[in-house]
Amino acid sequence: MKALYVEGGTFLHLMSPRLKLIGLCLSSLALFMIYQPVPLAFAAIASAMLYLSLRIGWRQSWVRMRMLGLTILVVALFTLVFNGWDEAAAVLFRLTALALAAAAVTATTTTGDFIDELTAAAYPLERLGLVRAADLGLAVGLVIRFLPEVLSRYDAIRDAHHARGFKPKPLTIAVPLLILTLKNADEIAAAIDARGIRRQK
Amino acid sequence: MDIRFQEAEARFEGRTVLHALSLSLSERRIGVVGLNGSGKTTFARLINGLVKPASGRVTVNGFDTVADADKARGQTGFIFQNPQNQIILPVLREDIALGLQGRKLPKPEINALVDRVLSRLGILHLGERRAHELSGGELQLAALASVLVTEPPILIMDEPTNQLDLRNRRLVADTIEGLNEHVLVVSHDLDLIADFDRVLLFHEGRLVGDGLPAEVIARYRGIALP
Amino acid sequence: MTTRDLVLAALFTAIIVALGVVPPVMLGFIPVPITAQSLGVMLAGTVLGAKRGGFAVLLLLVLVAIGLPVLSGGRGGLAVFASPTAGYLVGFLFAAIVTGFLSERFVKRSQSGLMQTSAFFLAALAGGVVVDHALGVIYLGLVTGIGIPKAFIGDLAFIPGDVLKALIAALAARAVIVGYPLLPERGAERA
Repeated sequence: MKALYVEGGTFLHLMSPRLKLIGLCLSSLALFMIYQPVPLAFAAIASAMLYLSLRIGWRQSWVRMRMLGLTILVVALFTLVFNGWDEAAAVLFRLTALALAAAAVTATTTTGDFIDELTAAAYPLERLGLVRAADLGLAVGLVIRFLPEVLSRYDAIRDAHHARGFKPKPLTIAVPLLILTLKNADEIAAAIDARGIRRQK
Repeated sequence: MDIRFQEAEARFEGRTVLHALSLSLSERRIGVVGLNGSGKTTFARLINGLVKPASGRVTVNGFDTVADADKARGQTGFIFQNPQNQIILPVLREDIALGLQGRKLPKPEINALVDRVLSRLGILHLGERRAHELSGGELQLAALASVLVTEPPILIMDEPTNQLDLRNRRLVADTIEGLNEHVLVVSHDLDLIADFDRVLLFHEGRLVGDGLPAEVIARYRGIALP
Repeated sequence: MTTRDLVLAALFTAIIVALGVVPPVMLGFIPVPITAQSLGVMLAGTVLGAKRGGFAVLLLLVLVAIGLPVLSGGRGGLAVFASPTAGYLVGFLFAAIVTGFLSERFVKRSQSGLMQTSAFFLAALAGGVVVDHALGVIYLGLVTGIGIPKAFIGDLAFIPGDVLKALIAALAARAVIVGYPLLPERGAERA
């Protein structure tokens, strides 16, 4: 699985991940407190310039943003029909500004940096005894590690269907996929414990 | 090395899978054989503390696997039957480094230790590879590296040559041969343990053979193929 | 959370991601392709229960947030949370928890297969359809200013598909509890 991070040396790449995330939160709050289309249009233009400065390329951008763009467009049309021009324009510009700013942060922050920020954010929760901060990184690693195994197991189950002349159905695929995958949990957990990773407190 | 079982018994879901057992182990190469379900894997897991004795006690180099669980575990490295499930992070280097995270070492030092263990097993070139791209033999060596990096004095391996082709089997067997650590191997691969220092035979949850490979293996054949 | 719980949740997250990657499956009797990711969310609750199922979905949201394209159609990144439909995505978390809680509460090992399947179906319906759609509609209505009633009208089109997924989730969960039971029972031993 390839992350949505894009290599580069722009000032967004160099900026501290924490600052970027805080900035994104604050600007989204600000966007929801503005109702007039004109300042929102300026915000959308600013976001677009930020995004364009990353030089992600049109094709990549299309792949990344088409679904989101479509959703925003549909919602804006909906608003236009029911609530008129002013509100439709405000919705369109606000959501576009938000989406492009968020995409810019995602494209300039590595997965590792994000995990570090999340782990740091989880430490206060750890003190309350809710979660263990280090578990988060481990769990993310586990998902990425075992995704290819799940996918090849899916292929194997589908092939087994064809080999025996059955048509694959959601149910007959899901059940063996679940059981075969989850049965590995005992051994993987034993391996983690045997290596002394994740000390039990 | 000093592994001691004192009247140690293991139960699973109300059933006794290993009857009260007392013995002590200090040889450098120890093999464990027996039919499927004979209790040999449970025996190996008791040493690592993955299974806790229901009664009696197990100590490894003086550390009790219950009272001193972390220290006892630090004495042993465990390599599982299925190396697939032993590599838990996507990239091999990251996975091996994970075992060192508790030591709070600086990054360059961790990298050096990872490099060292990879070179020792002749798989330095696999460091940046993703675990799901590795072949069976490579995975087995990778699993070994992930355990060796913390330098445990005792290694326990459960069926290390299971599922390997002839060439990979040879590679793993030679690697085991060359290890300086004490090694305890659970295996159906009788050639692998033929020149070990001591072999244990389990049958229906009891230790029924204990001695030099030739005599114990002969006994095992008698039980398995009467 | 034990190491085993952590691993079960992570493996389930991998399954939910995989269900978004594989090509949509056509169901025999209606001509609509089923993207299986929301099915995965209902399954997380019915198979693993509230705590582990909830953690599995939380992990999915974390993967989205850190910029991995794990949602169906290769979507991911913080921009997804900026979408007007983000309520449905965040709603997944509550859907899995509610589905899991109700499954733990009402499904017993001693029940007949039909009873178990029905209980799973109602649990998946409550979490995956009622809770998720409610949160989705509320957020959509408020964030866009079109209002909740109108957002609800747009939402109706997606309900039949999700009801069907709840049924599949129930049948699958019943099969898994027979083959490899993982679901904890809650408040069972009263008699």
